[in-house]
Amino acid sequence: MSTHPQRRSKRNDYREKAAAAAAASQQSADSSAGDIKLPRKKFYRQRAHANPFSDHQLDYPLSPAHMDWASRYPAYADPNPENVNLGGFRQMLKDVEVVDIGCGFGGLLVALAPLLPETLMVGMEIRVQVLDYVNTRINALRAQQLRLRSATPNNQGTPAPPSSTAAPTPVPTSAPTESNNDEDDDDETALPTTTLPGGYQNISAIRSNTMKFLPNFFGKHQLSKIFICFPDPHFKARKHKQRIVSESLNAEYAYVLRPGGLLYTITDVEEYHHWVLRHFREGDVPEGQEGEGEEEGVVGDVRDLFERVSEEELAKDDCVRVMSMETEESKKVTRNKGNKYVAVFRRKADPEWVV
Amino acid sequence: MDVDPQLQLPFHCVRFVEQRQGGVSQDLLIASAGRKLYSYAADSGRRLAIWPQDANHAEETVKENEAQQDAKDQEPPGKKRKTDTSNSAGGQKPKSLPDWTHIPILTISPTGKYVVALTAEDKCIRVFQIAEDGSLEQLSDRGMPKRPCALAVTGDESTILCADKFGDVYSLPLIPSEKPYVAPKEPRQAKTVQPAASNLTVHSKRNLASLEQQMMLYKQGKWGNSEEKSSLGFEHQLLLGHVSLLTDLAYVSFPDSKRSYILTADRDEHVRVSRGPPQAHVIENYCLGHTSFITRLCIPAWAPQYLVTGGGDNYLLVWNWSEGRVLQKVPLVADNSEIVVRDIWATALQTSPSETSKVILVAIDGSPSLLCFSQEVDGTLKEQGSISVSGNVIDVTPIEKSGTIVIAVDDVHNAGSIQEWRTAPTSQPVLLESFRVKPDAQGLAWEPVTEPLVATINSEGTSQAPTDAESKQRSSFSEALYGLKNLRKMRMGEDD
Repeated sequence: MSTHPQRRSKRNDYREKAAAAAAASQQSADSSAGDIKLPRKKFYRQRAHANPFSDHQLDYPLSPAHMDWASRYPAYADPNPENVNLGGFRQMLKDVEVVDIGCGFGGLLVALAPLLPETLMVGMEIRVQVLDYVNTRINALRAQQLRLRSATPNNQGTPAPPSSTAAPTPVPTSAPTESNNDEDDDDETALPTTTLPGGYQNISAIRSNTMKFLPNFFGKHQLSKIFICFPDPHFKARKHKQRIVSESLNAEYAYVLRPGGLLYTITDVEEYHHWVLRHFREGDVPEGQEGEGEEEGVVGDVRDLFERVSEEELAKDDCVRVMSMETEESKKVTRNKGNKYVAVFRRKADPEWVV
Repeated sequence: MDVDPQLQLPFHCVRFVEQRQGGVSQDLLIASAGRKLYSYAADSGRRLAIWPQDANHAEETVKENEAQQDAKDQEPPGKKRKTDTSNSAGGQKPKSLPDWTHIPILTISPTGKYVVALTAEDKCIRVFQIAEDGSLEQLSDRGMPKRPCALAVTGDESTILCADKFGDVYSLPLIPSEKPYVAPKEPRQAKTVQPAASNLTVHSKRNLASLEQQMMLYKQGKWGNSEEKSSLGFEHQLLLGHVSLLTDLAYVSFPDSKRSYILTADRDEHVRVSRGPPQAHVIENYCLGHTSFITRLCIPAWAPQYLVTGGGDNYLLVWNWSEGRVLQKVPLVADNSEIVVRDIWATALQTSPSETSKVILVAIDGSPSLLCFSQEVDGTLKEQGSISVSGNVIDVTPIEKSGTIVIAVDDVHNAGSIQEWRTAPTSQPVLLESFRVKPDAQGLAWEPVTEPLVATINSEGTSQAPTDAESKQRSSFSEALYGLKNLRKMRMGEDD
């Protein structure tokens, strides 16, 4: 899609340098190593759509037990290198349990990281360049945190999971401050200036086509939260099969989500919101019409596996606030004075076998 | 028609059918070759029926169209069916353009009363009743929206499960009810279709322009008239779906626990274990271990807790599928060469009144040898050598009570090739070969047997392969017989 060969090579150069710098600065917490900078989005732009049905050149593990998580969350790798999984990779001290499907530029992950400092979270994104941005950004944030920590005398720069760090989390929204400069299109130019719980060691992003490969990454009932934020609306009816919410995919979300786990959705497209409600169970289906009239008439519906979370409960959930305010897309919607429609569903226990 | 020795269309599918009903039961061999179905007496090889009968073909199509017309008339007005137009268009075409050229899937219902067949190009699932005299009566034909890749009939014979190219599994009643089908109501949302986008959700110049177009159409009442979904004109339910091409489907039920399961395999290396209907939306498990597409799920009847899978990898995997655990990886080739597993069969062949040999047979696409394994009590496979036949193995059907297997052989292509055609026909066309199992001290041995069934069918032939046809027709014929290789992913350059 893009542009000038010249501009393209400039972008490539920038991206390579930024990635190398972020990786290097993470190695040495030494502040003499030069300034840590957040990457700039304009060098990572990519067409907003990817065809989920095509065979992309994707790396995905044979099974969840073959996944290399340790290199993405080095602070949570099993200290004993002899403990390896089926793929021969270091075991983890804990499993990833929060997933942001279609994480885009990673705003949600970055905002959630200090909020759930003990929870490993991963973003999944199909667009290569956008993914590059997220990981460069996370590396820069990690490096900055390490540096801040090493500067603080009582915390000798140990990157270990900060199990007992700072009690109540300072509201992270203020942390990565934002330049309101529209020209740079909501790039976060400033790094946080204080140490934050978790030090961003608990977030990472991977390239994947979740519509196809979600079960390759996560086992049954592994996840406690799934976020689907501002999904590609696929306005055309003939493209509805490509939507990230569908009866068939919801069965997969139910598989990886533990009973009691939550699935968060937000969209600025009202029609999509109703689509989501229809596909996950909904109170607004009149009595007696339940389970009927849906698309192809699914028997014993996948919607049996979810219940909608009440407004009162959502009001108390920090994740909902972050999701509505902190993602790049939500900021864009705010700027454009669009609407935001939130729906959160709780995974119910599997129903009794019908025999 | 068989004056000259000519290349004969090989059987794409062969199924031995044991007919249990009635005192004077007669076992049958049902087979498909080209666009036809054949029914033979299993003891003599005498041909009992061919479907469709050529002479009646034109008439039949007309009748079908009429039937469809009737069905349409009974529908509430104002509902267009997309499938309709394509079907009737196919019927109106001159006879020289057949509506299908081959029948790639043939499934026999558990009691042996019904044949479920798929005709390829029209994507039609056709159910036949097998009459006592072996003739086939078509009870229904249902055109599916996407190409079906696998069919199964549930144990109670009530339901057909159909896995398709789009990743969806549908259930259809085996015998559609007498009542005319009324499509379920459209979701409320669809009634008030208006452009889903608004100036709050799209911002770029081009998107705004096309939104303006849409709004204009909407105001003129022209928006949303296009069919959102072609609803099928028969009862069906969507049970589950993958975002990948499905390659096989297996239905297992356990009489003790009364639980049933649907196993589905896809091109992206997944085997999914779901509960059986009506809870197919509950995924119990995945079996992940293949690195290439899967072509076949094989669950032995004698030990349904085990699963044998194969596909584009040069090995088989044996699973405890309810736990998603690999029990054994079985190499199929000595070197690292690329192969495609065409099919896997599990059969308990009777070797004496009290003993059976539990055998797993594996065909490699475009190979004239059939690999044999025995299955141990712990599920693992033990290699038993292979059976060599005169052409590529296309299909196999066991005749368990006589301890034999019948192999459908490709007499058109050179043995070992899926492209090269034989330049001259073999002196006597070989469509079927048959072997009897002989357990000995070392394991299993096989002896060729020439039964009347095989001899008669081979001498009679099917119909002539398109030898003199232009090569395009030839290659499309080869493609229909050996299409599995196309499932392999093309590793193109870096994408972004």
